[in-house]
Amino acid sequence: MRKITLLSLPLIGFCLLIVFLYKGLFSDPRALDSQISNQPVPQFTLPDLLDSNITYTPDVFKNKVTILNVWGVWCITCAIELPYLTQLKETQNVRFVGLYFDQDLDPDFGEKSLPQIQQEVKTMLSKYGNPYEFNIFDIARETALDLGVTGAPEHFLIDKSGVVRMHHVGDINERVWQNKLKPVYQTLLQEPDRRFSGEN
Amino acid sequence: MKTSAVISLFALLACVFFSNAYAAKDRYEFDDPAQREVFLKLTAELRCPMCQNQNIADSDAMIAQDMRRKVFRLLQQGKSEQEVINFMKSRYGDFIYYQPPVTIGTIWLWLLPVTFAVIALALLVFRKKQQRVDNSAEKLAQAERILNQDKQ
Repeated sequence: MRKITLLSLPLIGFCLLIVFLYKGLFSDPRALDSQISNQPVPQFTLPDLLDSNITYTPDVFKNKVTILNVWGVWCITCAIELPYLTQLKETQNVRFVGLYFDQDLDPDFGEKSLPQIQQEVKTMLSKYGNPYEFNIFDIARETALDLGVTGAPEHFLIDKSGVVRMHHVGDINERVWQNKLKPVYQTLLQEPDRRFSGEN
Repeated sequence: MKTSAVISLFALLACVFFSNAYAAKDRYEFDDPAQREVFLKLTAELRCPMCQNQNIADSDAMIAQDMRRKVFRLLQQGKSEQEVINFMKSRYGDFIYYQPPVTIGTIWLWLLPVTFAVIALALLVFRKKQQRVDNSAEKLAQAERILNQDKQ
Protein backbone atom coordinates (compact mmCIF):
# COMPACT_ATOMS: atom_id res chain seq x y z
CA MET A 1 0.00 0.00 0.00
CA ARG A 2 2.80 2.36 0.91
CA LYS A 3 4.60 1.46 -2.23
CA ILE A 4 1.61 2.57 -4.25
CA THR A 5 1.55 5.95 -2.55
CA LEU A 6 5.26 6.34 -3.10
CA LEU A 7 5.00 5.37 -6.75
CA SER A 8 2.04 7.66 -7.37
CA LEU A 9 3.97 10.69 -6.13
CA PRO A 10 5.66 11.35 -9.49
CA LEU A 11 2.30 10.86 -11.21
CA ILE A 12 0.69 13.44 -8.94
CA GLY A 13 3.60 15.79 -9.59
CA PHE A 14 3.22 15.24 -13.30
CA CYS A 15 -0.52 15.95 -13.17
CA LEU A 16 0.08 19.18 -11.21
CA LEU A 17 2.65 20.21 -13.80
CA ILE A 18 0.16 19.49 -16.59
CA VAL A 19 -2.48 21.66 -14.91
CA PHE A 20 0.05 24.45 -14.39
CA LEU A 21 1.29 24.38 -17.97
CA TYR A 22 -2.24 24.01 -19.38
CA LYS A 23 -3.31 27.14 -17.55
CA GLY A 24 -0.23 28.85 -18.97
CA LEU A 25 -1.55 28.21 -22.48
CA PHE A 26 -4.38 30.64 -21.86
CA SER A 27 -2.57 33.24 -19.82
CA ASP A 28 -1.57 36.44 -21.52
CA PRO A 29 1.99 37.43 -20.64
CA ARG A 30 1.21 40.95 -21.79
CA ALA A 31 -1.58 41.38 -19.28
CA LEU A 32 -0.18 43.45 -16.46
CA ASP A 33 -1.88 44.14 -13.17
CA SER A 34 -3.17 47.62 -13.58
CA GLN A 35 -2.01 49.84 -10.76
CA ILE A 36 -4.54 52.57 -11.52
CA SER A 37 -7.65 50.48 -10.87
CA ASN A 38 -9.68 51.91 -7.99
CA GLN A 39 -7.41 54.95 -7.87
CA PRO A 40 -8.57 58.46 -8.74
CA VAL A 41 -7.51 59.82 -12.10
CA PRO A 42 -4.09 61.50 -11.68
CA GLN A 43 -4.00 65.28 -11.69
CA PHE A 44 -3.56 66.98 -15.04
CA THR A 45 -4.10 70.31 -16.75
CA LEU A 46 -4.14 69.74 -20.48
CA PRO A 47 -5.52 71.55 -23.51
CA ASP A 48 -8.21 70.45 -25.90
CA LEU A 49 -6.79 68.76 -28.96
CA LEU A 50 -8.66 70.90 -31.45
CA ASP A 51 -8.87 74.14 -29.49
CA SER A 52 -5.86 75.04 -27.35
CA ASN A 53 -7.84 77.73 -25.53
CA ILE A 54 -9.85 75.14 -23.66
CA THR A 55 -8.13 73.47 -20.69
CA TYR A 56 -9.21 70.31 -18.94
CA THR A 57 -8.59 68.97 -15.44
CA PRO A 58 -9.91 65.75 -13.84
CA ASP A 59 -13.08 67.76 -13.10
CA VAL A 60 -14.35 66.72 -16.54
CA PHE A 61 -15.16 63.29 -15.08
CA LYS A 62 -17.44 64.74 -12.42
CA ASN A 63 -20.85 63.09 -12.02
CA LYS A 64 -20.63 61.24 -15.31
CA VAL A 65 -19.56 57.70 -16.13
CA THR A 66 -16.87 58.07 -18.76
CA ILE A 67 -14.73 55.84 -20.89
CA LEU A 68 -11.38 57.53 -21.37
CA ASN A 69 -9.98 56.25 -24.63
CA VAL A 70 -6.24 56.55 -25.26
CA TRP A 71 -5.66 56.84 -28.98
CA GLY A 72 -3.80 58.44 -31.88
CA VAL A 73 -4.10 58.66 -35.65
CA TRP A 74 -0.98 56.54 -36.01
CA CYS A 75 -2.68 53.64 -34.18
CA ILE A 76 -4.26 51.17 -36.59
CA THR A 77 -6.37 49.30 -34.04
CA CYS A 78 -7.83 52.65 -32.98
CA ALA A 79 -9.08 53.22 -36.51
CA ILE A 80 -10.68 49.79 -36.46
CA GLU A 81 -12.55 50.36 -33.19
CA LEU A 82 -13.71 53.92 -33.99
CA PRO A 83 -16.86 52.84 -35.89
CA TYR A 84 -17.90 50.52 -33.06
CA LEU A 85 -17.27 53.18 -30.40
CA THR A 86 -19.32 55.64 -32.45
CA GLN A 87 -22.11 53.10 -32.61
CA LEU A 88 -21.99 52.66 -28.81
CA LYS A 89 -22.19 56.40 -28.37
CA GLU A 90 -25.15 56.71 -30.70
CA THR A 91 -27.18 53.69 -29.59
CA GLN A 92 -26.34 53.48 -25.88
CA ASN A 93 -25.28 57.03 -25.18
CA VAL A 94 -21.88 55.99 -23.84
CA ARG A 95 -19.68 58.97 -22.97
CA PHE A 96 -16.28 58.73 -24.59
CA VAL A 97 -13.49 61.16 -23.90
CA GLY A 98 -10.29 60.86 -25.90
CA LEU A 99 -6.82 61.10 -24.45
CA TYR A 100 -4.81 61.84 -27.52
CA PHE A 101 -1.06 61.64 -27.80
CA ASP A 102 1.23 61.83 -30.75
CA GLN A 103 4.46 60.10 -31.49
CA ASP A 104 6.50 63.19 -32.20
CA LEU A 105 9.39 61.76 -30.25
CA ASP A 106 9.59 58.86 -32.60
CA PRO A 107 12.45 59.34 -35.07
CA ASP A 108 10.42 57.72 -37.84
CA PHE A 109 7.65 60.26 -37.55
CA GLY A 110 9.54 63.38 -36.68
CA GLU A 111 8.16 66.60 -35.27
CA LYS A 112 4.71 67.51 -36.39
CA SER A 113 3.06 70.87 -36.06
CA LEU A 114 -0.17 71.18 -34.10
CA PRO A 115 -2.31 72.22 -37.13
CA GLN A 116 -0.97 69.21 -38.96
CA ILE A 117 -2.00 66.87 -36.14
CA GLN A 118 -5.41 68.56 -35.87
CA GLN A 119 -5.99 68.11 -39.59
CA GLU A 120 -5.08 64.42 -39.40
CA VAL A 121 -7.43 63.93 -36.46
CA LYS A 122 -10.32 65.66 -38.24
CA THR A 123 -9.77 63.58 -41.35
CA MET A 124 -9.67 60.35 -39.41
CA LEU A 125 -12.74 61.13 -37.31
CA SER A 126 -14.79 62.12 -40.34
CA LYS A 127 -13.75 58.94 -42.07
CA TYR A 128 -14.37 56.38 -39.28
CA GLY A 129 -16.80 58.18 -36.97
CA ASN A 130 -16.36 60.42 -33.98
CA PRO A 131 -17.38 58.90 -30.63
CA TYR A 132 -15.67 61.57 -28.53
CA GLU A 133 -17.33 64.32 -26.56
CA PHE A 134 -13.93 66.01 -26.69
CA ASN A 135 -10.25 65.08 -26.87
CA ILE A 136 -7.64 65.87 -24.25
CA PHE A 137 -4.24 66.47 -25.80
CA ASP A 138 -1.56 64.79 -23.69
CA ILE A 139 1.27 66.81 -25.19
CA ALA A 140 4.22 65.34 -23.31
CA ARG A 141 2.53 61.96 -22.68
CA GLU A 142 2.91 62.55 -18.97
CA THR A 143 -0.68 61.74 -18.10
CA ALA A 144 -0.51 58.56 -20.16
CA LEU A 145 2.54 57.55 -18.13
CA ASP A 146 0.76 58.38 -14.88
CA LEU A 147 -2.15 56.19 -15.96
CA GLY A 148 0.17 53.29 -16.73
CA VAL A 149 -0.51 53.34 -20.46
CA THR A 150 1.78 51.12 -22.51
CA GLY A 151 0.36 51.82 -25.97
CA ALA A 152 -2.86 52.46 -27.80
CA PRO A 153 -5.72 51.78 -27.74
CA GLU A 154 -6.35 51.57 -24.03
CA HIS A 155 -9.53 52.37 -22.13
CA PHE A 156 -10.24 53.55 -18.62
CA LEU A 157 -13.71 53.15 -17.24
CA ILE A 158 -14.13 56.07 -14.83
CA ASP A 159 -16.97 56.37 -12.34
CA LYS A 160 -18.94 59.44 -11.30
CA SER A 161 -16.45 60.35 -8.59
CA GLY A 162 -13.47 60.32 -10.95
CA VAL A 163 -12.08 56.95 -9.86
CA VAL A 164 -10.76 54.52 -12.46
CA ARG A 165 -12.76 51.33 -12.07
CA MET A 166 -11.43 49.33 -14.97
CA HIS A 167 -8.39 49.49 -17.21
CA HIS A 168 -8.86 47.72 -20.51
CA VAL A 169 -5.82 47.29 -22.74
CA GLY A 170 -6.67 46.75 -26.40
CA ASP A 171 -9.65 47.60 -28.54
CA ILE A 172 -13.34 47.51 -27.69
CA ASN A 173 -15.37 45.29 -29.96
CA GLU A 174 -18.76 43.63 -29.63
CA ARG A 175 -17.39 40.68 -27.63
CA VAL A 176 -15.27 42.78 -25.25
CA TRP A 177 -18.09 45.25 -24.71
CA GLN A 178 -20.73 42.61 -23.97
CA ASN A 179 -18.55 40.43 -21.74
CA LYS A 180 -16.18 42.76 -20.01
CA LEU A 181 -17.06 46.44 -20.09
CA LYS A 182 -20.82 46.66 -20.35
CA PRO A 183 -21.62 44.84 -17.07
CA VAL A 184 -19.30 47.14 -15.11
CA TYR A 185 -20.42 50.20 -17.05
CA GLN A 186 -24.02 49.52 -16.16
CA THR A 187 -23.37 49.05 -12.46
CA LEU A 188 -21.46 52.34 -12.49
CA LEU A 189 -24.46 54.07 -14.06
CA GLN A 190 -26.61 52.79 -11.17
CA GLU A 191 -24.31 54.29 -8.57
CA PRO A 192 -25.52 57.54 -7.01
CA ASP A 193 -23.60 60.77 -7.51
CA ARG A 194 -20.90 60.83 -4.95
CA ARG A 195 -18.45 63.31 -3.63
CA PHE A 196 -15.88 63.89 -6.32
CA SER A 197 -12.43 62.54 -5.49
CA GLY A 198 -10.84 65.82 -6.49
CA GLU A 199 -12.73 67.73 -3.80
CA ASN A 200 -11.48 67.65 -0.27
CA MET B 1 14.36 26.99 -49.18
CA LYS B 2 18.07 27.59 -49.24
CA THR B 3 17.78 31.36 -49.53
CA SER B 4 15.43 31.53 -46.60
CA ALA B 5 17.92 29.57 -44.54
CA VAL B 6 20.68 32.00 -45.51
CA ILE B 7 18.45 34.98 -44.68
CA SER B 8 17.55 33.59 -41.29
CA LEU B 9 21.21 32.91 -40.60
CA PHE B 10 22.04 36.52 -41.42
CA ALA B 11 19.18 37.71 -39.26
CA LEU B 12 20.50 35.62 -36.41
CA LEU B 13 24.01 36.97 -36.86
CA ALA B 14 22.66 40.51 -37.00
CA CYS B 15 20.83 39.91 -33.73
CA VAL B 16 24.03 38.68 -32.11
CA PHE B 17 26.09 41.58 -33.37
CA PHE B 18 23.68 44.42 -32.78
CA SER B 19 22.00 43.26 -29.60
CA ASN B 20 24.41 45.34 -27.56
CA ALA B 21 23.93 48.47 -29.61
CA TYR B 22 21.51 50.28 -27.36
CA ALA B 23 18.70 51.89 -29.30
CA ALA B 24 18.70 55.07 -27.28
CA LYS B 25 18.95 57.91 -29.72
CA ASP B 26 17.96 60.68 -27.40
CA ARG B 27 20.83 62.36 -25.61
CA TYR B 28 20.86 63.06 -21.94
CA GLU B 29 23.54 65.17 -20.41
CA PHE B 30 24.51 65.02 -16.78
CA ASP B 31 26.52 67.48 -14.75
CA ASP B 32 27.14 64.87 -12.12
CA PRO B 33 28.90 61.66 -13.29
CA ALA B 34 27.43 59.75 -10.34
CA GLN B 35 23.93 60.67 -11.52
CA ARG B 36 24.82 59.43 -14.97
CA GLU B 37 25.82 56.09 -13.43
CA VAL B 38 22.46 55.86 -11.65
CA PHE B 39 20.66 56.68 -14.91
CA LEU B 40 22.51 53.95 -16.80
CA LYS B 41 21.89 51.45 -14.00
CA LEU B 42 18.18 52.29 -13.78
CA THR B 43 17.52 52.15 -17.51
CA ALA B 44 19.22 48.75 -17.57
CA GLU B 45 17.15 47.44 -14.65
CA LEU B 46 13.75 48.80 -15.60
CA ARG B 47 11.81 46.60 -17.95
CA CYS B 48 9.91 47.89 -20.96
CA PRO B 49 6.20 47.09 -20.45
CA MET B 50 5.53 47.04 -24.19
CA CYS B 51 8.38 44.94 -25.53
CA GLN B 52 8.82 42.50 -22.72
CA ASN B 53 12.22 41.02 -21.97
CA GLN B 54 13.93 44.22 -23.03
CA ASN B 55 15.08 46.86 -20.63
CA ILE B 56 14.18 50.47 -21.34
CA ALA B 57 17.74 51.32 -22.32
CA ASP B 58 17.62 48.68 -25.00
CA SER B 59 14.12 49.31 -26.30
CA ASP B 60 13.06 51.68 -29.03
CA ALA B 61 9.37 51.58 -28.16
CA MET B 62 7.70 54.89 -27.48
CA ILE B 63 6.92 53.93 -23.91
CA ALA B 64 10.59 53.12 -23.31
CA GLN B 65 11.60 56.54 -24.65
CA ASP B 66 9.07 58.18 -22.36
CA MET B 67 10.29 56.20 -19.40
CA ARG B 68 13.93 57.10 -20.07
CA ARG B 69 12.93 60.74 -20.25
CA LYS B 70 10.99 60.41 -17.01
CA VAL B 71 13.89 58.69 -15.25
CA PHE B 72 16.16 61.52 -16.40
CA ARG B 73 13.75 64.19 -15.19
CA LEU B 74 13.23 62.53 -11.83
CA LEU B 75 16.98 62.23 -11.30
CA GLN B 76 17.41 65.88 -12.25
CA GLN B 77 14.82 66.72 -9.63
CA GLY B 78 17.07 65.04 -7.09
CA LYS B 79 15.09 61.82 -6.67
CA SER B 80 17.01 58.81 -5.41
CA GLU B 81 17.37 55.53 -7.25
CA GLN B 82 14.79 53.84 -5.03
CA GLU B 83 12.35 56.72 -5.46
CA VAL B 84 12.51 56.36 -9.24
CA ILE B 85 11.91 52.61 -8.95
CA ASN B 86 8.93 53.23 -6.67
CA PHE B 87 7.59 55.84 -9.08
CA MET B 88 7.62 53.34 -11.93
CA LYS B 89 6.27 50.51 -9.77
CA SER B 90 3.33 52.64 -8.69
CA ARG B 91 2.38 53.05 -12.36
CA TYR B 92 3.32 49.77 -13.99
CA GLY B 93 3.52 47.34 -11.07
CA ASP B 94 6.31 45.12 -9.80
CA PHE B 95 6.73 43.81 -13.31
CA ILE B 96 8.58 46.95 -14.33
CA TYR B 97 11.63 46.16 -12.21
CA TYR B 98 13.74 43.13 -13.02
CA GLN B 99 14.30 42.19 -9.37
CA PRO B 100 11.07 40.62 -8.12
CA PRO B 101 10.03 41.45 -4.56
CA VAL B 102 9.69 38.57 -2.10
CA THR B 103 5.98 38.08 -1.48
CA ILE B 104 3.71 35.13 -0.71
CA GLY B 105 3.29 34.72 -4.44
CA THR B 106 6.97 34.80 -5.36
CA ILE B 107 8.58 33.14 -2.33
CA TRP B 108 7.99 29.79 -4.07
CA LEU B 109 10.65 30.62 -6.61
CA TRP B 110 13.17 30.11 -3.84
CA LEU B 111 11.29 27.67 -1.60
CA LEU B 112 10.20 25.10 -4.18
CA PRO B 113 13.68 24.04 -5.38
CA VAL B 114 14.88 23.77 -1.76
CA THR B 115 11.83 21.71 -0.68
CA PHE B 116 12.23 19.49 -3.71
CA ALA B 117 15.90 18.85 -2.93
CA VAL B 118 15.14 18.10 0.73
CA ILE B 119 12.33 15.68 -0.15
CA ALA B 120 14.43 13.93 -2.75
CA LEU B 121 17.33 13.55 -0.33
CA ALA B 122 15.05 12.25 2.43
CA LEU B 123 13.48 9.73 0.04
CA LEU B 124 16.89 8.55 -1.08
CA VAL B 125 18.13 7.96 2.47
CA PHE B 126 14.85 6.34 3.54
CA ARG B 127 14.77 3.95 0.62
CA LYS B 128 18.38 2.87 1.04
CA LYS B 129 17.76 1.96 4.66
CA GLN B 130 14.64 0.02 3.79
CA GLN B 131 16.40 -1.88 1.03
CA ARG B 132 19.13 -3.09 3.40
CA VAL B 133 16.57 -4.46 5.90
CA ASP B 134 14.52 -6.08 3.14
CA ASN B 135 17.55 -7.76 1.68
CA SER B 136 18.72 -9.41 4.89
CA ALA B 137 15.25 -10.74 5.67
CA GLU B 138 14.98 -12.17 2.20
CA LYS B 139 18.39 -13.80 2.42
CA LEU B 140 17.51 -15.31 5.79
CA ALA B 141 14.35 -16.81 4.38
CA GLN B 142 16.27 -18.18 1.41
CA ALA B 143 18.88 -19.75 3.67
CA GLU B 144 16.20 -21.34 5.77
CA ARG B 145 14.53 -22.76 2.70
CA ILE B 146 17.80 -24.32 1.58
CA LEU B 147 18.39 -25.73 5.04
CA ASN B 148 14.89 -27.21 5.05
CA GLN B 149 15.48 -28.76 1.64
CA ASP B 150 18.67 -30.39 2.90
CA LYS B 151 16.87 -31.87 5.85
CA GLN B 152 14.33 -33.68 3.71
